[in-house]
Amino acid sequence: MEKRFPRDFASLPSIFDYIAEFMAIHKIHSSAAYSLQFIVEELFTNLVKYSRGGREQIAVELSKHDNSVRVRLTDFDVDEFDVTTLPDVNIHEPAQSRKVGGLGVHLVRKMVDTMTYEYSNRVGTITITKNLARDDV
Amino acid sequence: MFSVSIGSNKEIHLAGRFDASQVAVAKEALDRITDSGTVDFTELEYISSAGMGVLLATQKRLMASGNKLTLVNLNKHIRDIFGYAGFDKVFEIR
Repeated sequence: MEKRFPRDFASLPSIFDYIAEFMAIHKIHSSAAYSLQFIVEELFTNLVKYSRGGREQIAVELSKHDNSVRVRLTDFDVDEFDVTTLPDVNIHEPAQSRKVGGLGVHLVRKMVDTMTYEYSNRVGTITITKNLARDDV
Repeated sequence: MFSVSIGSNKEIHLAGRFDASQVAVAKEALDRITDSGTVDFTELEYISSAGMGVLLATQKRLMASGNKLTLVNLNKHIRDIFGYAGFDKVFEIR
C-alpha cells in the first residue's frame, strides 16, 4: 500500500489513519501501533524539516512480509539527505548539556531491525524493516 | 486531538496525541511554567520526539533556576521510549 502526503506536519493525522487502515487489513495487533506510528512520524517529519529541494508530496509505503513490516518513504526531486548517517544522541549527557534535537532518528534506530537509504536521480528512499513480536500478529 | 491543562494544584495534565503538529500548543502552555511541578501522563496516548523535545527544553529551562518537572503515570510504550532516550536520567519518573 502506498499513499502520498503533502510535506507538512498537518499531514500527520492522515498518515496515522493510513497506518491504522494498513494494520486492520493485515490484522496486526494494536500493540505494534505505537512503534509504527512513531517510526513513520519521525522519518516523515525529518524529510519535511531537512530534505532540501522537495516540492512534491512524500510517498509512504507500508507492506507486510511474513513476520515483519516494511516502511518505505520516497522523497522526489530532492538533494541527498542520508538519515542513516546522522550521529546518535549521547543519552548519558547531563540534562543541562543535552541537545533538544536529534532524538527522533536515535529512537527510530532503537526500534527498527534494518534501516537503509538509497539516492538516485534526485529521488531519496528510506526503507526500514521492523520485526513483529509474536503478540503483534 | 491533544490538550495540555494546568490544574488548580499546578499539576500539568497532558491528554491525547502529542505529535509534531502539536508542538506550538504545548510550548505555549509549558512556557508559562516557572516553578517545579508534576506532569500527569494518565491521558496521554502518544508522544513523539517533537513532544519529548518540548519537555526536555522546559526541564532545562527550569533546572537553570533550581526547579524541575516530575513525570507521573506514563503508559508502557511512553515509559520504554523515555528509557531509550535516557529521559529517566533527565526527569524523575514515577
